[in-house]
Amino acid sequence: MKIGVVTFPGSNCDADTLEALSVIGVPVRHLFHEERDLDDLDAVILPGGFSYGDYLRSGALAAKAPVMRSLWVAVQTRQLPVLGICNGFQILTEAGLLPGSLRANAHGEFRCAWQTVRVTAASALFPGLSAGELLRLPIAHGEGAYYVASGELGQLFGDHEAWLQYVDDQGMLSVWANPNGSVANIAGVMRGSVAALMPHPERAMMAELGSTDGRRLLQAWVDGVRGRTFHAS
Amino acid sequence: MRAEEVGLSRREYEKIVELMKRPPNDLELGLFGALWSEHCSYKSTKALLAGLPHSGADVVQGPGENAGVVRLSDDVEVAFKVESHNHPSSVEPVQGAATGVGGILRDIIAMGARPVALADMLRFGTDEASQRLRAGVVRGIGLYANAIGIPTVTGDIGFADTYRSNPLVNVLAVGIRAPNHRINASTACPQHYLVLLGQRTGRDGIHGASLLASRDFTHSSEDLRPTVQVGDPFLGKLLMEATLEAVLGGFVAALQDLGAAGLTSAVAELCHSSGVGADLWLDRVPLRQQGLSAYEIMLSETQERMLMAVGAEHLDAVIQICKRWDIPATVIGQATASDDLRLLQDGVEVGCVKPRWLVADAPRRSVARAWWDGLDQSGAHRRVDPPMFSSELLLKVLGHPDVRDRASVYSQYDSMIQTNTVYGPEHEVSVLRVKQQAAGLALAVCGSGRWAALDPYAGASAVVLLALARIAAQGGEPLGLTDGVNAGNPDNQASYEATAALVRGLADAARACQVPITGGNVSLHNETDSQAIWPTLMIGALGRHPHPLRPVGEALPEAGAQLFLINPAPPDWGGSVAAELVSELCTYPHPSLQKAHHVLTTMQHWARREHPGSVRTIGVGGLAATLVRFLAVSRPELGIDIQIAEPGADKTGRFYNEAPLQWVVVVASDQVLALQEYWDRAHIAIVPLGVVTDDATLTVDKRYRWTRSDLLGVWRRS
Repeated sequence: MKIGVVTFPGSNCDADTLEALSVIGVPVRHLFHEERDLDDLDAVILPGGFSYGDYLRSGALAAKAPVMRSLWVAVQTRQLPVLGICNGFQILTEAGLLPGSLRANAHGEFRCAWQTVRVTAASALFPGLSAGELLRLPIAHGEGAYYVASGELGQLFGDHEAWLQYVDDQGMLSVWANPNGSVANIAGVMRGSVAALMPHPERAMMAELGSTDGRRLLQAWVDGVRGRTFHAS
Repeated sequence: MRAEEVGLSRREYEKIVELMKRPPNDLELGLFGALWSEHCSYKSTKALLAGLPHSGADVVQGPGENAGVVRLSDDVEVAFKVESHNHPSSVEPVQGAATGVGGILRDIIAMGARPVALADMLRFGTDEASQRLRAGVVRGIGLYANAIGIPTVTGDIGFADTYRSNPLVNVLAVGIRAPNHRINASTACPQHYLVLLGQRTGRDGIHGASLLASRDFTHSSEDLRPTVQVGDPFLGKLLMEATLEAVLGGFVAALQDLGAAGLTSAVAELCHSSGVGADLWLDRVPLRQQGLSAYEIMLSETQERMLMAVGAEHLDAVIQICKRWDIPATVIGQATASDDLRLLQDGVEVGCVKPRWLVADAPRRSVARAWWDGLDQSGAHRRVDPPMFSSELLLKVLGHPDVRDRASVYSQYDSMIQTNTVYGPEHEVSVLRVKQQAAGLALAVCGSGRWAALDPYAGASAVVLLALARIAAQGGEPLGLTDGVNAGNPDNQASYEATAALVRGLADAARACQVPITGGNVSLHNETDSQAIWPTLMIGALGRHPHPLRPVGEALPEAGAQLFLINPAPPDWGGSVAAELVSELCTYPHPSLQKAHHVLTTMQHWARREHPGSVRTIGVGGLAATLVRFLAVSRPELGIDIQIAEPGADKTGRFYNEAPLQWVVVVASDQVLALQEYWDRAHIAIVPLGVVTDDATLTVDKRYRWTRSDLLGVWRRS
């Protein structure tokens, strides 16, 4: 099994993500944005950062990179698992691989903080994470307010595509626990084999740095990839 | 062109003619104007800075290069330095602060080090306009730092009217490198190509060093807005990656960033420190807009550029790396065996100077030994006795902008990227792990503000002691200091003497504590319409943390634990926030330096033993603020019950005293004997303060009570 981590110009969480995967013990391949051949990969992570300087809109230019063309095809033809983190989430919505979009935080400022999130729905993409589970993860973004047209919100929850929500430390959903003005406190969305979240699991890999919940989340996703690979072979 | 137009005096012009043995042409005059400016030449302060201690067992690189470097271990060296961007930030807060971050990061990169942390030290006025300026500066710092992906791990902020027209923006960066990737600007050889990397050169920032940063502000300074450069963190990130990849590949012979005075400074510094000359082919410099003159090309301060000396055999490799990172890289000249810097345009020589003239020969102000020796007695002495103890004053102190919670500022900075931040900006001192190393980094920053307002010597030495006290509280071994000196117009005798006293205080404290100063920055002319700021010293202290993944605690452990005050100072509240609130500015207590080294090492050795309890260092806001900060990060049911031994007004003096080298230590009751014995053996006073309770209240002398929620409500109100 091998997981690819993509570096776009301006990606800045690529090294942290590669290191997190090595802690979990997964073979990785570091890809540059110009690469087109993804055939050897069982899954791909789009890490956080400010790809292409976030000119135009966050993720908009990265969504047109050569690697994204190949990614699109691999998702359509072989349901390649893809995980987008922060800027990776923005790139996936811009590329049309996930519904909705991410807008500037409602308070207008960049926000870096520890944040509790709740797993809204269990899924095959994250075996081992059960509905209602709480995770403590860092957020660090200026454009993280998730938005979908109001008609689509019901479907997102009905189809269990909204999989992660911002909550308070007790796990309660409230407007006070919403750090950026996302609709329905949505912190993560998935569709088909593609999932994404605004928080940074790769920064929550050891208790000494604040939390190991990111490790649990990434481990669950890797287990999901491994399960698929096993069934396919 | 006249000398005054490039910021030079008549006397300086005469010196130029004497050196050149002919009058300079306009281009050459421009080069002198930039490099002989206060900002680049340190002409007023070089002799003062010569009094600073620079050597130490762990110093790899002292002052003079782009950044100082100290040894963390056999495998890791640490580059760090502070730089000011006061004037640009005042004129254009967002871009001024952003380019300040970009500039100091390139200084670190120019030492072959990968940046791992940033810190910022800020001073603003107290009026509405200053608060908008603060918002802009904080936004600008975040804009650059968050995007390029370097965590902002600690900081210091203060407010006073004196900074209304002259805000201070000092930024510190830290980077790490392996010893075999050492590089600097002094290793270029004749025949090496000079390669310019990064942003195409435009008209931005021309005269930034000579005019904007080296003159006082007047109301017409708004006209200088076009001299502020624009930062591009995206390009900065690509430039950083390309540069470090080329250094790691061993392809770069010498490296210099382009900052103040742009290409002129970079080429002159590189040539001078390498002992080579150079031919520069100005027509090859890639331009953002057509039609720039040689003068503009040489003096542009366009951001995101680096200069490399590269041997012919490595040129292709460097060009290929830059292509991969989509960074323009152009050969713009060649080092020569002569000692001339020749500027050529389309094959025609348009100027010729010796790098030494530009870099080393600026006329400098000298310092008389007797005058320097007397500076420790500086400062008007104004004493104000504190009032009797009262309940109300604590809430006022906690609500003071210099004391209250800074979360609204630091939460706008990414403090966790790179996953090394064990203690981030919510702590008194930042603790970073260094991957694959047992030892980590402790980084503490602080600035003087009102401490140095009346007695710059006392304030400056106290700031050094405070920064080192915070490193010691983590058991950290101090490796080096970087200093940011910020003061008024050096041509004004009172401002100059205040600056000198500040530097003397820095020198004496660093020497007393046996910690070297490895580099720093001086920003003068922080003066508007003849009103100078308080001379302000910003200090960054870097230490070797013995166990970074298990930092010393800053929270109350459990009810029943006991609090002690280590090394109590006389109960003098001079220079404190409380004194300012109640009466008027009064003189900060003159710190005693004789025992400083002993006190610091005693604390360091005590804290190195793992899990000694919790420690906080007393600073701005005094013991009072320290106790509240304990409550803020502890379990909500915990409280503190203390007795203050001093009677009457001295009780107030003790509670708000801001003298350095004092700590509050909290240990479990079975540790008390060992703790007292340890400090008694060292002959350092330790005073029992009280106990941790479970009543969520701060109680003083069983008589004064505040609930935790009332205290934190005031402290956190932004």
